[in-house]
Amino acid sequence: MESVIINALQQGLIFAFMALGVLLTFRLLGFPDLTVEGTFPLGAAVTARVIVEGVNPLLAVLLGAVAGGMAGAATGLMHTRLKVNNILAGILTASAIYTVMLRTMGRPNTPLLAHENVYGQVLGWFNLTETNSTVIIALLVLTVIVRLLLGWFLNTDIGLALRATGSNEQMIRSLGVNTDNTKLMGLIIANFLVGLSGALACQLQGFADVGMGIGVLVAAIASVIVGETIFGGNRLGRLLTGVILGSIVYRGLLAIGLRMGLPAEDFKLMTAVLVLLVLCLPNFSLNKRLAGVVPGVQTKNKKPRQTRSLQADYSPSPAKELTVHVQNDGRVGE
Amino acid sequence: MIKLTGIDKYFFAGTPNEVKALDNVNLRVAQGDFITLIGSNGAGKSTLLKAIAGVISVDAGSIEIDGRNVTNLPEHTRARDIGRIDQDPLASTAAELSIEENLAMAYLRGQKRGLARAVTGQRAEIFREALKNIGLGLESRLKVPVGTLSGGQRQALALVMATLSRPKLLLLDEHTAALDPKAARLVMEITERLVNRYQLTTLMITHNMEQAIRFGNRLIMMHRGRIILDIGAEEKNKLTVPDLVTRFTSSSGSVFDDDRVLLA
Repeated sequence: MESVIINALQQGLIFAFMALGVLLTFRLLGFPDLTVEGTFPLGAAVTARVIVEGVNPLLAVLLGAVAGGMAGAATGLMHTRLKVNNILAGILTASAIYTVMLRTMGRPNTPLLAHENVYGQVLGWFNLTETNSTVIIALLVLTVIVRLLLGWFLNTDIGLALRATGSNEQMIRSLGVNTDNTKLMGLIIANFLVGLSGALACQLQGFADVGMGIGVLVAAIASVIVGETIFGGNRLGRLLTGVILGSIVYRGLLAIGLRMGLPAEDFKLMTAVLVLLVLCLPNFSLNKRLAGVVPGVQTKNKKPRQTRSLQADYSPSPAKELTVHVQNDGRVGE
Repeated sequence: MIKLTGIDKYFFAGTPNEVKALDNVNLRVAQGDFITLIGSNGAGKSTLLKAIAGVISVDAGSIEIDGRNVTNLPEHTRARDIGRIDQDPLASTAAELSIEENLAMAYLRGQKRGLARAVTGQRAEIFREALKNIGLGLESRLKVPVGTLSGGQRQALALVMATLSRPKLLLLDEHTAALDPKAARLVMEITERLVNRYQLTTLMITHNMEQAIRFGNRLIMMHRGRIILDIGAEEKNKLTVPDLVTRFTSSSGSVFDDDRVLLA
């Protein structure tokens, strides 16, 4: 059990940075950024390479994150300046990164166990030895710092413009914001976080591998969904914290699965199925189907969240008299 | 104040479906003018507004705002001077963000945005004051996501957002067309109040002839990409709907047959 908790916290916190990045692009910016599948191992590869060269581990991790940000910039520039479709731009960058990683490391895999790692280095400053629990504390501190920074940034004028780009691009452009720039900025920040995640992962596991990015995007999306469903609300602060907790819960579930003897090679399929299930759950109501088939089953009319908060927020004001006829697809009759 | 000279705009240029949406449009708008713009479907009304705002580019002619030639400037650099509301109530506000966040974005219309906190106590006070003007009680619901408001409330909020930073020009593209009659009347009342209070130069598209006559100090009618009628304040005061239909027929050489306009 202890190993499950340690695993959940260590992996969960490391992948929380990636989940936050994915939240930023997919959810807040409305940009399905597939670069991250390449950014994650890129962060690891760059970190590994410079550590082998003898660079200070903390600086190495930072360089890994910066490399991630540069990958995000590549995708962003392709999309905004060269008008490449957003998904294709991400795929192109992710594919190009593969070569960059092989060139950076000179081989597909770099072992790092012989070198000092960033956890030992930082913990050493506080006269702590590197154990499972001290590593968790160090990661926790960093997570809290990043969470607070993101929360602050997304509530600034620029941060708001960035969120508005994902919510209503036409509107924020009409308010004088160059949405090309907000997209670029969002992609750089998100991929910086993903690169950081990869760099921290390679430091913990003691090696970097070009294949370590396979499937990480789906895992991150799973974390975001778990976080949003269990902890998140409409408010931004809860969403950010929820995604971090979601990452920990998701990694915890994987650790439990491993402990129960589930074969590790099945995890990616199970995660994909899990994400699919959660995504399509709102469209699928068992009660509704049973009601038509099984006599005696009443349809429970579950109201969607939107309606609920709408009612809660409805105040008895003159506004109550206002209604509008809007078609379901959001367009309005001519 | 606004000067349009020889504006042409083609859609599907170079294809068999080529349409001339704007055909040599010349228009001068004086400071403080409240112009209602009327015409049948495909007359080019929305295209004209979008061209002024920079949402679409024009194929010929020039657009000047306050002496500055903005013809080739992208939309976001013209934004400082222009507030615009679309007929779609979902288009002019951001659903996921709260009322105060939407207003905070509008507050900095066209200005440089930095790393200052978007919603401060001081700004919230300004927002509350602005919302009180429209009398819908929104000032007590600053933290509510805009997506939970009704269409009429969203258009009213859009009006506050469009006028918050006193733009030089307000463009209204049938902003009440998608609302039910009651909400439409209310939003129109608010519009008139804000335009009068801040003396905003306004261009308002409407499908409703009666509305076109009742509001504003100048009426413009478009047909097939051209301005065919331009009626000033004095003459407009005496104008009736049948007059307008007759004038249309004599100016355009065709029968006015848009049910939506006639029946409105």
